[in-house]
Amino acid sequence: MISRGEAVAAEIPRLRRYARVLLGDDGEAEDLIQDTLERALARLPQWREGDNPRKWLFSILHNLHVDALRRKSRRPPHVGLESIGVDQSEPAADGASGRDLDQALRLLSVEQREVVLLVGLEGLSYAETAEVLDIPVGTVMSRLARGRDRLRALMDYGGGDRNGRAALRRVK
Amino acid sequence: MNGLRRISEAELHAFVDGELAPPEHAEVAELLAASPVDQALARDIRELNEAIKARYGGLLADAAPGATETLLRRRLDGGWLARSWRQARPAAAAVLLLAVAAGGYASRGLLASRTGPETAFAATALGAHSVYVPEVRHPVEVRADEAHLVRWLAKRVGADLRAPALGGAGWKLMGGRLLPDQDGHPAAQFMYEDATGRRLTLYIRKETGLDNTAFRFFERDGFGAFYWIDRPLAYALTGRLSRDELMTLANTVYGQLDAQGAGAAPAGLAPRQ
Repeated sequence: MISRGEAVAAEIPRLRRYARVLLGDDGEAEDLIQDTLERALARLPQWREGDNPRKWLFSILHNLHVDALRRKSRRPPHVGLESIGVDQSEPAADGASGRDLDQALRLLSVEQREVVLLVGLEGLSYAETAEVLDIPVGTVMSRLARGRDRLRALMDYGGGDRNGRAALRRVK
Repeated sequence: MNGLRRISEAELHAFVDGELAPPEHAEVAELLAASPVDQALARDIRELNEAIKARYGGLLADAAPGATETLLRRRLDGGWLARSWRQARPAAAAVLLLAVAAGGYASRGLLASRTGPETAFAATALGAHSVYVPEVRHPVEVRADEAHLVRWLAKRVGADLRAPALGGAGWKLMGGRLLPDQDGHPAAQFMYEDATGRRLTLYIRKETGLDNTAFRFFERDGFGAFYWIDRPLAYALTGRLSRDELMTLANTVYGQLDAQGAGAAPAGLAPRQ
């Protein structure tokens, strides 16, 4: 039987990946991971065998991140994906540069970035995402739609606007 | 429009994300076939998801585990925590948690300063110190009066190691234990106690990767560690002592151990007779 500790440890790479992309800064991401693991260790006795460790840990990470944002008061969070270890020249699948995606993600609100990444990168279901963020599923869906719309517009995707308006063009 | 109902935006995202139940999925697929605009949007959503995975998915593989994680993993995988949860009484568990938290803070400092494997070694030693020093009944695995203590640890660590005699400075050897180091290799910990009940640990592991170093000092949460490498071994002397007191003891330890070898004293220290 897998121990609680092992179950937690197995999720660390995913937590770190998410934190790095969400925050766009490796140092801040490490701090957040460290805080998350400390809180998880302290709460390990409350974690029930059979509970999904990923959901549990992402939820701890989210709460700590929200706390941190609150402490930073009204300053907009610094998000600079150039400082995480992704190759800056590597083209994305569609030919656009990955850097465009970095920049576009940076322009989303934190709330939108969270759902776009939890669903699109981490593969969580809407229900899991709702639990992690402690919001209704309907809110997950609307944030996802708004966040993706904005990304599509920023990245010059061809699909345009469903209501017939031309997609916003990215300002070079 | 051809009389079919329009797919809602939320529905379309849910469709692409595989969130719809089979009947709804089939229905949306049918509606989609008749709506080029929605097809284009669905394609964009898919491409976005793929671009995100292509761009950031690899971070999972190449995210080098930080020192924090290495420490935690050792602690978790090595079963320090897991084992203790199964066996420990609540009070003991609380003590252990505090110790783990202290170790965690140690490694956080490590990350903040972005230092190398030597500091990871010191942090591991400090973590081991903080875990075992509060133990009342089982501070050591093998007591000092058992003759095989040093021989056993030397054999497991794979090097000729000694437990220095610090009686002259007022520290009595209590015993020792075998531990995993930050890379999962065997390490030895000797524990000493003075007349007032303060405890000191000397953590020793085999060092193959790094060259000899001068004494270095590492401090976290009131614990201090002097550490140095004198190949083939790395040492860390840890305690809740003043830097000066710890330095004097480290000097004594180094002198005793080095009396067997030919190495020069670490930089900044007068060679001992």
